[in-house]
Amino acid sequence: MPVDIPKDKWPGAVRTITLGATPAEGGTRARTVTVGGEKALPYMHFEAEMPYRPVIALEIKDRRPDDWSPLLLEEWGEAASDPASWAKAAEAAGADLLVLALSLTGADGQPTTPAAAVAAAKAVLAASGLPLIVFGPGQAEADNTLLLAVAEATKGERLALGICEDKNYRTIVAAALANDHLVTARTPMDVNLAKQLNILISDMGLPLDRILMDPTTGALGYGIEYGYSVMERLRLAALQGDAMTQFPMIVTPGFEAWKAKEAKVGQGVPAEWGNWRERAITWETLTAVTLLESGADIVVLRHPESVRRVRAAIDDLMTAPVTA
Amino acid sequence: MALSGIQIYKLLPQTNCKDCGYPTCLAFAMKLAAKQAELSSCPHVSEEAKAQLSEAAEPPIRLVTLQADGHEIKVGNETVLFRHEKKFFNKPGLFIRVRDTDPAEDIRAQVAAADSYRVNYVGMALSLDGFAVEATSGDPGAFASAISAVRAASARPLILISRDPAVMAAGLRAIDGESPLICGADAANWQAMAELARQHNAPLAVLGNSLDELAELTEKIKETGVKDLVLDHGARSLGAALIRQTQIRRLALKQNFRPLGFPIIAFAGNDAPGGQAVMAAQAIAKYAGFVVLDSFAPETVYPLLVLRENIYTDPQKPIQVQPALYEINNPSPEDPVLVTTNFSITYFSVANEVESSGLPAWLLVTDAEGMSVLTAWAAGKFDAERIAKAVKGFNVADKVSRKRLVLPGHVAVLSGELEEELPGWEIRVGPREAVDLPAFMKQAL
Amino acid sequence: MTHLVTFDAALEPVRVPTGTLLSEAARLAGLNLMQPCGGQGRCGRCAVRIIAGSARRRSSLRLSADDVAAGWALACQTVVEGDVTVAVPPQESIERRLTTDRTAREVVAPPGYDPIRDQTIRRLNLTLPPPSLDDQTDDWSRLQTAIRQESGLAVTRLDLDLLRRLGRILREGEWQVTAVVEDGPAEARLIDLRSGHTPVEAPLWGAAIDIGTTTVTLWLVDLLTGRVAAQVAEYNGQIARGEDVISRIIYASKNNGGQELQQLVLETITALLEAACARVGVSPSEVVKATFAGNSTMIHLLLGIPAESIRLMPFVTAVNHVPPLTGRDIGLPIHPAAAVDCLPGVASYVGADITAGVLSSGLDDAEAATLFIDIGTNGETVLGNREWLLTCACSAGPAFEGAGVLHGMRATRGAIEEVWINGATYEPTFRVIGGVPPRGLCGSGLISLLAEMFLTGVVDKGGHINTTLPTPRVRVGDHGPEYVVAWAAESATGSDIVITAVDIDNLLRAKAAIYAGFSVLADSIGMPLADVDRVLVGGSFGQYINVEKAVEIGLLPDIPWERFSFLGNTAVRGAYLALLDRAARERVRAIASRLTYIELSADNRFYEAFTSALFLPHTDLSRFPTVQAARAT
Repeated sequence: MPVDIPKDKWPGAVRTITLGATPAEGGTRARTVTVGGEKALPYMHFEAEMPYRPVIALEIKDRRPDDWSPLLLEEWGEAASDPASWAKAAEAAGADLLVLALSLTGADGQPTTPAAAVAAAKAVLAASGLPLIVFGPGQAEADNTLLLAVAEATKGERLALGICEDKNYRTIVAAALANDHLVTARTPMDVNLAKQLNILISDMGLPLDRILMDPTTGALGYGIEYGYSVMERLRLAALQGDAMTQFPMIVTPGFEAWKAKEAKVGQGVPAEWGNWRERAITWETLTAVTLLESGADIVVLRHPESVRRVRAAIDDLMTAPVTA
Repeated sequence: MALSGIQIYKLLPQTNCKDCGYPTCLAFAMKLAAKQAELSSCPHVSEEAKAQLSEAAEPPIRLVTLQADGHEIKVGNETVLFRHEKKFFNKPGLFIRVRDTDPAEDIRAQVAAADSYRVNYVGMALSLDGFAVEATSGDPGAFASAISAVRAASARPLILISRDPAVMAAGLRAIDGESPLICGADAANWQAMAELARQHNAPLAVLGNSLDELAELTEKIKETGVKDLVLDHGARSLGAALIRQTQIRRLALKQNFRPLGFPIIAFAGNDAPGGQAVMAAQAIAKYAGFVVLDSFAPETVYPLLVLRENIYTDPQKPIQVQPALYEINNPSPEDPVLVTTNFSITYFSVANEVESSGLPAWLLVTDAEGMSVLTAWAAGKFDAERIAKAVKGFNVADKVSRKRLVLPGHVAVLSGELEEELPGWEIRVGPREAVDLPAFMKQAL
Repeated sequence: MTHLVTFDAALEPVRVPTGTLLSEAARLAGLNLMQPCGGQGRCGRCAVRIIAGSARRRSSLRLSADDVAAGWALACQTVVEGDVTVAVPPQESIERRLTTDRTAREVVAPPGYDPIRDQTIRRLNLTLPPPSLDDQTDDWSRLQTAIRQESGLAVTRLDLDLLRRLGRILREGEWQVTAVVEDGPAEARLIDLRSGHTPVEAPLWGAAIDIGTTTVTLWLVDLLTGRVAAQVAEYNGQIARGEDVISRIIYASKNNGGQELQQLVLETITALLEAACARVGVSPSEVVKATFAGNSTMIHLLLGIPAESIRLMPFVTAVNHVPPLTGRDIGLPIHPAAAVDCLPGVASYVGADITAGVLSSGLDDAEAATLFIDIGTNGETVLGNREWLLTCACSAGPAFEGAGVLHGMRATRGAIEEVWINGATYEPTFRVIGGVPPRGLCGSGLISLLAEMFLTGVVDKGGHINTTLPTPRVRVGDHGPEYVVAWAAESATGSDIVITAVDIDNLLRAKAAIYAGFSVLADSIGMPLADVDRVLVGGSFGQYINVEKAVEIGLLPDIPWERFSFLGNTAVRGAYLALLDRAARERVRAIASRLTYIELSADNRFYEAFTSALFLPHTDLSRFPTVQAARAT
């Protein structure tokens, strides 16, 4: 019985966005990363070719983090004490690009200075040829000062600057505009808020091929379903032709999953949770893969083993026969 | 196809007689459209309307139930492709596979461990649904004794896997009187398998290596009178399975394509490290009705059980956060306690404002059933009594040395009562909007 | 190449080159066309009519297709391409044309109103046969007989107090009396009796009263002709005890709060009653019938009925259909035996204000799908036609009634009701009710102001004031960023009239709630807003609401203007109709039983629609194509 397989025809498509600039393009990156361009729902190759693979970023810090799980610190070892060596280790672990997350304070407890932030960013750029995303500490004022300094010091690299939120978008967008960078627009798990921020950013004149959106997600067990549905809705809206949702999505399953007790700690937890390491990696991997299937273009991870597993999943999802 | 409230309304008597328990015919029609009411509640509906309405009510994906000794798993009856459109209704069953070539002792041990597995997630006890026994040996006797071994260790529903009707018949005899899922029928054996399904009144999984083959088989089998079918689309890689499962769901829902209007069974076997968990996770989120895992390990099963709860949460319910005392920017005992409700948007706006200000504070999130401050207050879910209960319940007094509680400005009226409920606490009225919190904290606290 | 431009209002024609703007030609001709928007084609106040000749309209944003067909053009957007003759209408007529005032009617009695057939209250001039030794019938029976003979009504009840005075009244008038009788739902009742006859043309007074959460409105009506003799309104005295119904309910449930709130609203109504009666020179005790509309909470509080169950799950009222009451029951200085009628409600949050509103809008008898939006504190909306009626309510807050806004006020003398902002200088011009120095901003003024601020970029789409603009009008005040609408020197209050960031937040929330309410309502039966045939807008605005500006801020749906009608205070109008006509009163009852209420608090879609509408004009710009077009120019 021949079955006529229905194909969705979408009027819209996700924008194609390139991070990083090679020397020829005014930067210093060994290569660039391009994401987006989807014309159908994730991995529905029988409807439209998916021109770019989703990519995996590894998150590194400007100094050894105080609040990361011992499992992660153990895994990265001494590399985690120095952004340059961490960047090299992350590249070796198979990252497609890097996220440098700036700390609010230095090891001495004093606020991170713009100079220190610039030094860390420069060190990472020197150590690795991968494209770079720089996240501020997540406090509007600190983000503004640190990211502005980093943006100026790295003009032309096509970094993505985050976190650009409703409160501070003007400063970050202005910094990106002036220094040829991108922004990641973050909103708290709400389709409307995501669209509103994108509209405000584009009203400032930032070209639309320089916006990534981070719709925020929860980890598995901690509200992943809200982020999941918001991402599905944003992607559906993009395909339906809503220009203000047609941006590639970046999500941070590493940050989310490793915040969860299930991944973070190995002691004082129920025996039914099973082996700590395997559970922690599964927590991060399942969070990431679930979000990839709801439309993520960039997943930011923390553990090298998760990178391997998520990469294997992406390989499988991308090679499915077109006529399946 | 599903009818809208207005379409249904036109078929009702339109007398607003209230006999159905709803104030108007239109209210009843809208409940029917939302599948929250039964047509039989209306004593006055015409036969003609009844016929039209029940046809529209027939589910595009058949509900298949698997039972055994008090355990029951229902799958199918889904109505949407995306959970935000309404919700996913029937959680897929999670089954652990055992093989009849494994030693009986191992089978018993693994099944017993998996059977008794219970894990607590936000107050709910989660467990697995049953076992799939596979006739790897090809020997009817071995299959039957493996099934008996499983049955001895667990009373949960079973899936029996064999393509050989003789082996399957032996397996079914081993648990005579039960109706496990027979897995399954293919192009070669479908007649015999359908006969077994009929005899044992059991649901039947149908394997087709393409959707064409699958649709043809289900049509043929339906003619034999077996109605409870389950689809095995044969794709075993992540990408191919995703596409097949999506296509089947779309055909069933968007085109009401009856030959594929059945739940799907997915096999999550994968040898790569962590591969099984990834495949099972995809099956849970992407439309499977039964998910068969190759092995039992708590560190894999727990995340999958949690994912299943998450994906099948009703998205229409307000988004809630866990009521608790949250720490923002490493507060000290000197720092103030801010109070708000557990509606996630409310929580996020308060937490984000304070967090990004860099000012340390304790954030007490009360159980207001997921309502915002004003709504909860209006509905009596955010009052002095409840706030005081949260202060006591989360032992806030033990965490702070300076007992200062900041109320949202919208509920300033509660301050008097709260002072009575919480003697020794200084009750402060904060701003109405979260955005004004940092300024308030800097100036007034 | 040059052309001759002839303006009917100018002494001489002028000659201008091709491509000259009509506005420039008018200036050369010595005419002073109003251009508050600075010639940007936004305000529509420079509209002229082209009588003959050739001109090209670059933009007709403010004009409907019919307008253009009739020759209307915006002078600032129209270029001369040949000889042309232009009519310049008086400014007043332009402004009227721009607003929906054309649909706001004078109150006229319902056509064909027949007090004998329609009115439940009758006034009868009776001449009784005096008693005699041959006829020792008692006074009351004698009166009953006379009433029956005159009107066919079998009066069975009267107050004991009146009974005590009956004999004296009859004899004082030498058996000529005036009786006021109610042909009530259950029985006929004698309300009043006076000696002597009353001229038939003398009015018989009734009152239609709408108790809004924010505003109480009263119409004093001659029951014999239907004439509205006075219309008065005032803020509800309960406001000081809470701005919304929930606060009131909670206040009422504590200590003697219920009594206090009842007292406050009675004081407000009494003051209105006295003011209205003073205007026609009668005593409030002459009012023999009063019909009330109002939301369920307001009616409960008026009657001193505990309202607590309204706010608590599962949200039920104590009463939806209040039995007939008298003036004495209710505690107002109207005639103690006056007939008091509270119109029926449907649910906790859909009260008699809405059933009355539906009645006055005629929605229950409409052929095509009609949307009725009450822009008030509770944001009630009804969608339907003669076959079905759906309704919902959402908490919008009092901003559009001028309350809860720093310099807000009711739409009375001294209220700024319309604002234009020049896009180049950010200088505003405004119109004040009564043409006096301004005291504050009323609802329509606030809508107008927000729309202008949005279109000129004083606020961004998120409603944030752009504090970097080069104008002293934008500044940071005690309440954060603000925009100065009127300087102290030009205001009646002696201080600046401003709109603050907090005010804008309140307005945004109010408009988002109302928009979300009707869009969820339409969505719940699968009807696109564009399919709505007519939109009827009610609310306690002054003369009008500028529909276009309400659309620009995303308060009303972006559908063709012709489909909007502004009905004013529909609740009081509904009460008025029910006061006059027993058939209308019966229709309100039928409406109450037909309305299907959608509970939004149980619906996630409402929150979704609300956040989506919390943007100017809306997060989904495709819902507002004409606003998008207006901003693009």
